[in-house]
Amino acid sequence: MLAAFTAGMTLAYTGMLALCLGLERHYRQIWRETPPVWLRRGLRVGGWMVLVMAFHACNLAWGAAMGAVGWFGLVSLTGFVLLLLLPYAPRLAVWLPVGGGLLWIGVLVTM
Amino acid sequence: MPRVKSFTQSMAWLHSWAGLILGWLLFAIFLTGTLTIFDKEINWWSQPELRDQQVTQQEAARAAWNWLAREHGDAEVWNISLPTERAPVMSVSIGDNRRSGGKVLDPHSEALVPVRESAGGNFLYHFHYTLHMPRTFGIWVVGLAAMAMLTALVTGIVIHKRIFKDFFTFRPVKGRRAWLDGHNACAVLMLPFHLMITYTGLVIFVMIYMPAAVDALYDGNREAMFREARPLAEKGAEPRQGNERRDGGRQGNERGPRMVEQAPAAEMLPLESFIGKAESVFGPGMVASMTISHPGRANAVVSLRPLLGSRIALTKGVEVRFDAVSGKLLQAPLEPRASALTQQVMTGLHFAQFGGYPMRWLYFLCSGVSCAMIATGLVLFAMKQRLRTAEVNRGHTFLRVVDVLNIAVVAGLVLGCIGMLWANRLLPVELAGRAGWEESLFFGIWGVSLLHAGWRQPGAAWREQLGVAALLCLGLPLLGFLTQDAGAMDTTRLSLALVAVLIGLMLAWTAWRVGRPAATNGVPHEPTQHLAGAG
Repeated sequence: MLAAFTAGMTLAYTGMLALCLGLERHYRQIWRETPPVWLRRGLRVGGWMVLVMAFHACNLAWGAAMGAVGWFGLVSLTGFVLLLLLPYAPRLAVWLPVGGGLLWIGVLVTM
Repeated sequence: MPRVKSFTQSMAWLHSWAGLILGWLLFAIFLTGTLTIFDKEINWWSQPELRDQQVTQQEAARAAWNWLAREHGDAEVWNISLPTERAPVMSVSIGDNRRSGGKVLDPHSEALVPVRESAGGNFLYHFHYTLHMPRTFGIWVVGLAAMAMLTALVTGIVIHKRIFKDFFTFRPVKGRRAWLDGHNACAVLMLPFHLMITYTGLVIFVMIYMPAAVDALYDGNREAMFREARPLAEKGAEPRQGNERRDGGRQGNERGPRMVEQAPAAEMLPLESFIGKAESVFGPGMVASMTISHPGRANAVVSLRPLLGSRIALTKGVEVRFDAVSGKLLQAPLEPRASALTQQVMTGLHFAQFGGYPMRWLYFLCSGVSCAMIATGLVLFAMKQRLRTAEVNRGHTFLRVVDVLNIAVVAGLVLGCIGMLWANRLLPVELAGRAGWEESLFFGIWGVSLLHAGWRQPGAAWREQLGVAALLCLGLPLLGFLTQDAGAMDTTRLSLALVAVLIGLMLAWTAWRVGRPAATNGVPHEPTQHLAGAG
């Protein structure tokens, strides 16, 4: 359960990050350049797809009904964390999913 | 307030005033609700005499049986509350009212453990939905606040023109903008949570808030409505017999002579053997407590109740019943009707007993953000009011009232909550009416906070109250270390102390931010502006 939860959390954050970077203002905030239209669209589509994957991970962690509740909570909270990180540590905000992935592997190995 | 002109402006007006007047109540409701998510953990911390004895439920049931048979062999009803993950403690009681006066039993020595009386998490829980007022009145007031919350949410959506454009926007350097960004971010990102928790909170007391349907269809007879909603009571003969057996001692006279006399003595199956049987119904590790009626008699019945949490629906009153002598299943829990299940799922969504600790943490953090949203909203109102007051040079008294109440409600309540934990450790253990003293101290601290806020300038009052609250939070591990045995420091109590330290750091940071610009800008008494400008 903890592994699926960690995966869900990381995926939810990654999805929100992609959606966020799909907005011109935030892309510029981090990369200091205007994103091409295809990249913005790709980030948005990708972001939603990753959020769907997060939903699947939540279902694995909690089962179908509770999974939906957990997904809403994770998406909201990871989005909030992203929002707080953006103005203070934009680079960290982008690289955080790597940390989440490592954490997930760590949980997988130790469980 | 300028003349109300357009739809958006009237929505803004409604948002500010519904948010302000009931925001003070809402902050109290949300903060205590947030803490209530970990009520059992707070209770555990509040009674350092309790130890996790690391026994299985079977061993615990065996020990409880031995003790009850020895001390209360002739009792009509035995109740055993089994150790569970969140509360690894066993308590026993006799008589019909299993909720009152359980005694903690050590499963190893089979002796009672004296524990201190404490208000703890239970007080926060009751305060969350009654505000410590007479129950029904309190529930109405909290319901009114919840309606105001829904109003504020909907009007907030209407007046927030750039929900999607500003979805991830937080600009902590732009003065009042930062507060508005923060308030919007808390509100928009957590919108599903806000709507869910507020709406389900209202659904819990739907029978109190909206009695018209029951009045019309059942002539106000709630019992009749419940009978129809619950298949258990509808089935007639079989469960009724079960009830009769259970309450046989009291109801015997009405039901026939066979129940008047006590049934002959009989050897019961070992009580621990019923835990496995009940687990096959509720799931492994999901048994919470058991009740034995007519112990040691031929008509002995064992009822086991589940731990809440294997599903979203909050299933109160569900139990599985066995014949204690033969082990035969007497009554399995039945699925509720769709209407009852809907209400149970909504109630369950609010109580958050499902999904284990990860879910509990999600609720805690989301709920914390809700508190932040309400607090930032209150601060924003004060900021706007300050500008308006300066503009027209009128309404200074009202501004003062808003400032004082903001400080007393936000900072004062935080102080009261952490102060109550300190009171738990500092009051003498054997003090009579100890839990009542803790509650009095909670309200006392809150009152002092109000006086202090009225006495000091707003900037200083915010800084000092938040600072003291931060110190109390940061000092909690030390207090625990000084006032409890080393053996009491288990994972739960350690985690609570750690969380207190984290909250203390956040409070200290806030207090520092409130204080810092006062020194640099030379513009005292405007805490909210400072906080915003500091970002």
